[in-house]
Amino acid sequence: MARLSAVLGALWTAIRRDAGSMASFSGNNFFIVGAVLLFFGDPGAFVSLNAVIAVILFFPLSTDPLRKIPPTRLALWPLTGRERLWLRILSPWLNPIAWVLAALAVWKGIGIGVWATFAGLFAIVFVMPSLPFGNRSGIGRAVPNLPGPLNQLIRKDLRQIVSSLDFYCALSWSALATITRATGRLPSDARVPVSLVIVLALSTIALNSFGPDGKAGINRYRLLPLRGWQILLAKDAAFLAIAALLTAPLSPLSGISAALAALAFGHYDSVTLRHDETRWRFRTSKSVGRSIVQVVLLIAAGAGVSTSALVYFPAVIAVYAGSTWWFGRELEQLANRG
Amino acid sequence: MISCHELNRRFGDQHAVEALTFQVEKGAICAFLGANGAGKSTTVKMLTGLLAPTSGAIEIRGIDVVKNPLAIRRISGVLPEDLGLFDDLTVEEHLMLTGRIYGLDPHSTRQRASELLRALNLTEGRNTFAAQCSHGMRKKTAFAMALLPNPEVLFLDEPFEAIDPVTAKLMRDLLVALSRRGITIFLTSHVLSVVERIATQLVIIREGKCVWNSPASELPRSLEDLYFELAESANPEPLEWLGSPLS
Repeated sequence: MARLSAVLGALWTAIRRDAGSMASFSGNNFFIVGAVLLFFGDPGAFVSLNAVIAVILFFPLSTDPLRKIPPTRLALWPLTGRERLWLRILSPWLNPIAWVLAALAVWKGIGIGVWATFAGLFAIVFVMPSLPFGNRSGIGRAVPNLPGPLNQLIRKDLRQIVSSLDFYCALSWSALATITRATGRLPSDARVPVSLVIVLALSTIALNSFGPDGKAGINRYRLLPLRGWQILLAKDAAFLAIAALLTAPLSPLSGISAALAALAFGHYDSVTLRHDETRWRFRTSKSVGRSIVQVVLLIAAGAGVSTSALVYFPAVIAVYAGSTWWFGRELEQLANRG
Repeated sequence: MISCHELNRRFGDQHAVEALTFQVEKGAICAFLGANGAGKSTTVKMLTGLLAPTSGAIEIRGIDVVKNPLAIRRISGVLPEDLGLFDDLTVEEHLMLTGRIYGLDPHSTRQRASELLRALNLTEGRNTFAAQCSHGMRKKTAFAMALLPNPEVLFLDEPFEAIDPVTAKLMRDLLVALSRRGITIFLTSHVLSVVERIATQLVIIREGKCVWNSPASELPRSLEDLYFELAESANPEPLEWLGSPLS
């Protein structure tokens, strides 16, 4: 019993720590904008923006707590067969989602269909990594080869973006809007605003583009014989490709302009305020104020281009180019200072 | 080829490296030895431009490392302490990245990458992502990345640690062959038996200061004896509870 409670105690500590990283959404631009809209008396917008966050968070929250223990370590511990069985039975209850689903089953405040859907999704996410075919990471990693020497850097950055929850938030909006448009229910004047919401969902990535590289990745960047602007360009190319793809069925020019503005503003934070990011979590901004400014700029750029592309689009490109050159230089100087 | 003069690095009040001066000739294999925390990796980071020195001068082939780091990166291959790999790239993609960024065309890059993968027994794991590789595979990948651009100087931070004996021998033989072809090699290691076999120059540091610098042929006694005398001494603890009946 002492051994079992020691293992469960360690698991609980790991889960509590992980819960901290789950809260990363509170530093995400999408949540921040929702909070600002709530402050200005628009609870409907707050709910609709955060409903997407909640649905997306449901998936990483549904994982099996026992997977936090490395399988080799678990196998090496001197636990009896009976203790292992109890561990298997008790450990799922360390997951808060299991308690929520159990409470909803008893309460019956929601329809059985909705409950069964969520319980089914929970079960799939919970069990899938343990299945022989369930632990393949190929889907998000199959990125096509691109021409040019920066190919592998761009592919790496595409994979990093696809393993952030921000991407799935943007993808949900893009998919919903595309389906709505295909069924003829999306008014034509809604295309630009929805494109901007998609870029807004991605924009925190532009505020910390080196976050997923870790210290080792940053050291590798510093060892490569590349200019700072080339490194930023590789990073940004991945972001722009994703933004263009997700806004393509709506208003791609507005989407790309908004993405360029988000990147141009985000270079400062990415280069000088880098912090580590965790996979399968929402990306976080270091400053609410800077997030708001970035969002205002991306909306202005996207909306401006939709009114007069000839005037605004070249201006947005010029600002982006200037930012890339300037912060590329900054990146080199920071690297040289060690 | 490598010249360090009065090199200092401080972290707050602590001197990580103090007044370090040495030269390494072209084609030499210089082994830079010292205990954990003696300042070896800090020195390698300064030599490769990853860390700016607090004071002092470093030149590689006459190029100032601090003033012109890009030129240094173009002529050097580095196996850094943390290996510097991206979790989201496979073993082979790391090599393809390196070749293209150092200006090789895709065909030559692919050819060199294939040869290195075969030489280092990485062919089977070529499509494994770095995050899923064993430490040995990761080290071999970083070593292959250092070699692929055909550098003039190699900086290797603990290349033989966590490597299987066959690959360690292969790396050892390869380094000797490379030094004969004029490539300068600067390495740190704790595997004294290997160092004794291949090094042509030995530098030992203790608490950031150089305590020995000579050609390997001029060692007064075995490297192990000299190392324990100069670099660190063992501190045996009895640990009497080990071997006592289980409680």
